Amino acid sequence: MSVMAKPLAHAHGHEEHDHEAELRKEHLLLDPKPRGEMNAMVMDMMEGTSWKFWVIVAILGALVLWGLVYSWGMMIANGLGLAGVNQPVYWGLFLVHTVFWIGISHAGTFVSALLRVFKAEFRRPFTRAAELMTTFSLAQAAVMIFAHMGRVWLAYWMFPLPNQRQIWPNFHSPLMWDFLAINTYLLSSTMYLFLPLIPDLAMARDRSTGWRKKVYSVLALGWRGTEGEWTHLRTALNIFAFAILPIMFSVHTIVSWDFAVAMRPGWSSTIFGPYFVVGAIHSGVAAVGMVLVVIRQFMKNMTYFIRPEHFDALGKLMLIISMAWAYFFFNDFMVQWYGGDKWTDELLHFHEAGRWGWVWFMMLICNVAVPWLTLWNKTIRRTPWAMFIIGLLINVGMWAERFIIIPVSLSINRMPFRWGDYKPGVEVPIFIGSVAFFILLYMLASRIIPLVPVWEVQEGQMAHSIRKYGKEPVVTVSDLE
Amino acid sequence: MTEKNMLLALFEEVNRTALAVDKLRALGIDNEHVNVISGTPITEAMLGRPHQWTNVPRLAMGGALGGMLVGILLAFGTPALYPVYVGGQPLFPVPPSIVVLFEMTMLGIMLSTFLGVFLDARFPSYSPKVYVPEISDGYIALLIDCPAEMEDEVKKVMTEAGAESVKYAEVQPL
Amino acid sequence: MAKNHNIPEFKAEWKEGEEGKWGMAIDMDICTGCNACVAACAMENNIPFVGEEDSGYGRAMHWIRIERLWEGEYPEVKTDFQPVMCQQCGSAPCEPVCPVFASVHSQAEKLNVQVYNRCIGTRYCANNCPYVARAFNSRDYDRPEPLNNQLNPDVTVRRRGVMEKCTFCIQRIHKGQDQAKSEGRDVYDGEVQPACAQACPADAIVFGRVDDPESRVSKLARQGRGYKLLEDLNTLPSVTYLKGGSHVRNG
Repeated sequence: MSVMAKPLAHAHGHEEHDHEAELRKEHLLLDPKPRGEMNAMVMDMMEGTSWKFWVIVAILGALVLWGLVYSWGMMIANGLGLAGVNQPVYWGLFLVHTVFWIGISHAGTFVSALLRVFKAEFRRPFTRAAELMTTFSLAQAAVMIFAHMGRVWLAYWMFPLPNQRQIWPNFHSPLMWDFLAINTYLLSSTMYLFLPLIPDLAMARDRSTGWRKKVYSVLALGWRGTEGEWTHLRTALNIFAFAILPIMFSVHTIVSWDFAVAMRPGWSSTIFGPYFVVGAIHSGVAAVGMVLVVIRQFMKNMTYFIRPEHFDALGKLMLIISMAWAYFFFNDFMVQWYGGDKWTDELLHFHEAGRWGWVWFMMLICNVAVPWLTLWNKTIRRTPWAMFIIGLLINVGMWAERFIIIPVSLSINRMPFRWGDYKPGVEVPIFIGSVAFFILLYMLASRIIPLVPVWEVQEGQMAHSIRKYGKEPVVTVSDLE
Repeated sequence: MTEKNMLLALFEEVNRTALAVDKLRALGIDNEHVNVISGTPITEAMLGRPHQWTNVPRLAMGGALGGMLVGILLAFGTPALYPVYVGGQPLFPVPPSIVVLFEMTMLGIMLSTFLGVFLDARFPSYSPKVYVPEISDGYIALLIDCPAEMEDEVKKVMTEAGAESVKYAEVQPL
Repeated sequence: MAKNHNIPEFKAEWKEGEEGKWGMAIDMDICTGCNACVAACAMENNIPFVGEEDSGYGRAMHWIRIERLWEGEYPEVKTDFQPVMCQQCGSAPCEPVCPVFASVHSQAEKLNVQVYNRCIGTRYCANNCPYVARAFNSRDYDRPEPLNNQLNPDVTVRRRGVMEKCTFCIQRIHKGQDQAKSEGRDVYDGEVQPACAQACPADAIVFGRVDDPESRVSKLARQGRGYKLLEDLNTLPSVTYLKGGSHVRNG
């Protein structure tokens, strides 16, 4: 029965009851279950794995072995000649994929920190799923960073420690800022993943036996839930939520400065900082949508926790962020197009009409046209498989954006005698290996880490109620802080 | 561990717990001798309890300062130790140093907040403690430290307030 | 460009670009594009031969290249040949971006030096070089017998993963300076010649001290025909190109 606008004068108990029931069905936070039952549902998700799961794990493991161990090993042994980099395109898909994975990592922080700061209650059931994405995608970004290096076995030289060579790394370099920023972000988001996980690990410890109980007992650190412990934890979470936001913004800004500080046509753009941050959030939130569709489809009891309302909210976010991305893209493009010097003109022409012009158009279609044509519609937003496809297309579009910015822009420079094309080589299997590794890590984590932060869901359910405003049942949220 | 036993009263929901806390105070058992253990955070306002102090914010500030010091060492100390001239930039360049200082300060805040939780809550702690698994199932436990002669009265009062159970607190491995 | 005395003298004080010490003047009007300099540089500096396929894909390792700049329509076509190598910029954009200080400005020779054993191969320096003057070792290239006999013992060989570029034949500079010091005198102008200058049959490449106003290279650089490549990027290159005559100046 669809909810239709009804005048306040009608007071049919039956309709009001239905409206309340609809509200409960729609909103997780209005549909509380006893905590014990929710705990059991979350434990159930982790235990009881079917053989099909292990088949997929085996396939992914094989892809990881082929892509990351064999292909990358061959490249380390034989040199970057196996990849596609040349003169003048010295950076290719490895850097594209570095930026891509760091972009996806912004999902977790956006969902768990930004939405927490803005008190967007709908975030509660999926903050952990998003934070796990952050940790695992940063691991893939690290793979790509190591892969692009010519002498990766000396990568530790970037680490600033006193040594017998009496030499320090160069902090003038954006790559060193990257080193500091990405490590800070990786450590911070892992800590931010672990802190709210502690009470759920304690719950898992209380409800498991055997090897699981041993693992959870160690990881739960002896958590009980005393007033003191909760106070310390919640204070820390507040500090984390506020402080990790500037870190999140700074990380992708610093990554953008790898390009923006260089004196290349198309790269030396002052808007790159915010442009990249918004781009990262764009691909990140789309990826969160994709992951939620998958876990909701394949994990037991997830349909209780993740409901169409969450996809609805995420879809609205994706639409707004897509508009923000379009704003920044147009800022960058318009300014270059209008007052461009001769090299920038050549570059823009190459972007649109050169060999990779179709990638440029694909970027615009996937990042702008697809969200703008679909996400205004509530039915589409609430349909999980549609959100998966839209999320996937957005990620393809953002991949295309980074492809245009890195290898395509590098083809054009101020010495036309040295313009050149780029053909990817071993970067492709290494990327496939990293995608497989990401999914593999996530799947394995879902067996050990309780994927839903039950205490946060219960906290949200405690804060929500339905009350009557006149004749209409309305949702109220109290601030329990 | 004290010699006398502590009482553990379990409640299903917060209103009864708040009533129980009031009754305990009426009996003369002050806030110091009562501890609340729960599966979701119950703020002190909900139960009329005194403010809980935590050192985490101060530790975070300390960590920020520490981080900034490390940043200063990296950005200004290392070029002083090993002066290398690059690209027409001064030896101690200001804008890159701001980036380094910012990142190290934030890292300091994050690490010290995280370790601050461990320090303040004395984690990890694997020794046996007073705990029942029902707490993570949503029950709220009141851990009452009262003189032996008051035990019976406290038990009676807790049951009146609506406790699911009142028993001696057992120290068990978690 | 005549000096406009209404514009106040301004030097960006915070940008400590260096005045060069060693520099070149290359006369494009007499360069014939014969590539002798390219061959000489390859022999002097142990530059690997990458093979046809890699070379076609833009992985040739030459430290100097001859650019061919065409002007006009058939049959009135004119070609300019422009030898381009590392410009040894006073304010080199390749230097600040290396995370491990593998690309630094030497204080003694005032040249941009690439430290092979420090390079970890991130290739940022090459991306930031506006002259595309740097070459990256994508593979370990063999030198089948008897080509290894041709190696110059004064210059190290580089392995895969390391960036390299023109050094203004710093090994010859050091040799010349050592010779002069042992004889108790200064280096004469023209005594030190990099391989490219030595090999050029037209004497189009002139090398010397640009901080000495009486050296041949300084006098040539002061000629009206002199210009620097991509000058407004403010990289302060040490190479002056001489081009004039009936040709339109290229930018």
